[in-house]
Amino acid sequence: MRYGFYIGTCLFLMIVQTTLLTYFNVFAGMYDLLIPFVIFISICLPLRESLPFVLILGLIMDIFSGSPFGLYLTFYFWLFVGVRWIIKFLRVSNKFLLSLVVVVAVLIQNMLIIGTLGFAGPGWQLPAAALKNIALQFFWALTTGPLFLFYLLAISKRFDIQLNGAAPQPKAYG
Amino acid sequence: MVLIVGGIVLITVNVILLSITSKSQSTFGLGRVGLSFVAPFQELITRSVRFTRSIWGHYFFLASVAHENETLKKALNQSIEKNNEWHEIELANARLRNLLNFQKAPTNRVVAAEVIGKDPSGWFKTVIIDKGSSDGVQKGLPVVLPTGIAGQVIEVSGHYSKVMLIIDRNSAVDALVQRSRARGIIKGASADQCRFEFVLRKHDVQIGDTVVASGLDGVYPKGLRIGRVSDLSERSSDIFYEITVTPFVDYEKLEEVLVILHPKTQAFASQQ
Repeated sequence: MRYGFYIGTCLFLMIVQTTLLTYFNVFAGMYDLLIPFVIFISICLPLRESLPFVLILGLIMDIFSGSPFGLYLTFYFWLFVGVRWIIKFLRVSNKFLLSLVVVVAVLIQNMLIIGTLGFAGPGWQLPAAALKNIALQFFWALTTGPLFLFYLLAISKRFDIQLNGAAPQPKAYG
Repeated sequence: MVLIVGGIVLITVNVILLSITSKSQSTFGLGRVGLSFVAPFQELITRSVRFTRSIWGHYFFLASVAHENETLKKALNQSIEKNNEWHEIELANARLRNLLNFQKAPTNRVVAAEVIGKDPSGWFKTVIIDKGSSDGVQKGLPVVLPTGIAGQVIEVSGHYSKVMLIIDRNSAVDALVQRSRARGIIKGASADQCRFEFVLRKHDVQIGDTVVASGLDGVYPKGLRIGRVSDLSERSSDIFYEITVTPFVDYEKLEEVLVILHPKTQAFASQQ
């Protein structure tokens, strides 16, 4: 049931951001909704379960995007590595720092995309609308990213209580 | 120490691989599998949204529809008039072609497709359509709309395909200014606009000129409309114009497209 929830959520987010959101102008410039999800599974799942999940997720996003193949795979992998490393020092209950992780991840993803576009050729120029796009993503990440992440963490905790009778106490929880 | 060295090696390999893949659009065959797996869900959501929107449109906006109806009737009358005029021109054209012993203008077989998904980021301009290899769609085929060129098929699975729009930075279309026949390359600028590159300054180009496909790239049939010149500048040190073209197609509202199954691209010289 727990894995069904993870797979279902990931599929839902992937489809929502490639179909539903494109119909609403208000969501123009929405950030990659899978970023909070990748952070979430990096925190909550053990390494042997979360790593394949993250890699498959990156692969599917690469297929659906017009980006150079491997861009999402790269980003999700390093986001996973970064989050696994950072939770050694950071308490998951620290909402401010976790919010910061989401926002920073969104900005890093944009930087990675700009960097990859730069590989395409010396003639490439940063589009004039790029700054607006990044600003919008920053705004959405700041306002909805942490909420979304905490919601996922709360659901996961609830699953653990229902299935195991008590919430787990991983190193990351304070 | 081993961990640090391993990390550096991994990052280096990663950067090299990304720099290689950024120069090509290949997904190494994985695209077919991924599209077949996730695209049906996209199709389901897209159809549900459109169904809901159509109910809303049909039953809750009848007042605005009445007004729109009046406007459309007027536009239709004007179009009928234009159509008659063009029909006469077409007949005259056929007679003249006969006289000159020209071949009949080629017709293209097309398949209509619905857009069921779009690229999630604002950086890349691709869409997923609900037609694939089982409908005759192949990689490289042109995708158009009655208003102009939409893009090119870059990935095909059984029932779905991925289309790169001409506003994507990887897209390039060999094009002509319809009025002066000045030639250049239309490249995506990723902001619902294109750049028209390599147009020599000795040619006559003006703001408002229509740009069409030249047919020389072997992908898009000659004469397909692309857009209108919306900005033009000349740098004294450069031999080319700096031209911005606004496409006729509204890519934000792309819902249905036509895939040309067997485009008849012609030699440029033969049509001049």
